[in-house]
Amino acid sequence: MIRIPREQYEAIVAHARQEAPREACGLLAGHGDRIEKVYPVPNRAELAVEFFAERGLIPPGRDYRPDAPGAIAVERFFMDPEEQFRALRAIEAAGLEHLGSYHSHPATEAYPSRTDIELAAFWPNMLLMICSLADPARPVVRAFRVVDGRVQEEDIVIEE
Amino acid sequence: MAVTILIPAPLRRFTEDRASVQVEAKTVGEALAKLDELYPGIRERICEPDGRVRRFVSIFVNGKDIRSLQGVETPLADGDEVGIIPAMAGGR
Ligand SMILES: [Zn+2]
Repeated sequence: MIRIPREQYEAIVAHARQEAPREACGLLAGHGDRIEKVYPVPNRAELAVEFFAERGLIPPGRDYRPDAPGAIAVERFFMDPEEQFRALRAIEAAGLEHLGSYHSHPATEAYPSRTDIELAAFWPNMLLMICSLADPARPVVRAFRVVDGRVQEEDIVIEE
Repeated sequence: MAVTILIPAPLRRFTEDRASVQVEAKTVGEALAKLDELYPGIRERICEPDGRVRRFVSIFVNGKDIRSLQGVETPLADGDEVGIIPAMAGGR
């Protein structure tokens, strides 16, 4: 079980809506099982086409040409490395722990994709929050951990 | 030239849980070699066998990505901070 204040939960949903149809992404910080602050990070998926391709994470038949910037960001996220680093330093400076990351699924369910599961291996045991906008009127946020390639769900308690 | 290397959480199992390590080095490449002397095996998590930084890893000198500097040849000065961060990525 994880806990998150209402306004930080809403910040994830607002970021997801603002970036749609692109995926939004960011970091989660707090203490133990309590998220205290979310840190939005720009999605630079369009600069990471080769990164996904060499791992077989580009769907067959899909053409992410360099002259269609942003196209891949509809289905993938890749955090801007410099901004990600800056956010991690900010988390440390605020006396918080880096607990995990969040991202949006603008058109699919709030469950880790194969891409999410494979790439979570770089950050073992971290919290993975996903905000689905599949039904735009009713966003769904769920939380997971990927442990040894297996997905475990964490209940979310929103603190009012 | 004492520099501080910031170790990301996923690599701390190599560094006895240390979040930062001090080494003497004049370039980023030398700093990584020194780090690997202290904690054998950590360098291959960061670099390809030919020495290039892996595509899913970014290295920063004082907050600047070394891809926009001189790569592993980027010179270091006393007190510089070298950050190592694996990519955070995913999809739908
Ligand atoms: Zn995803």
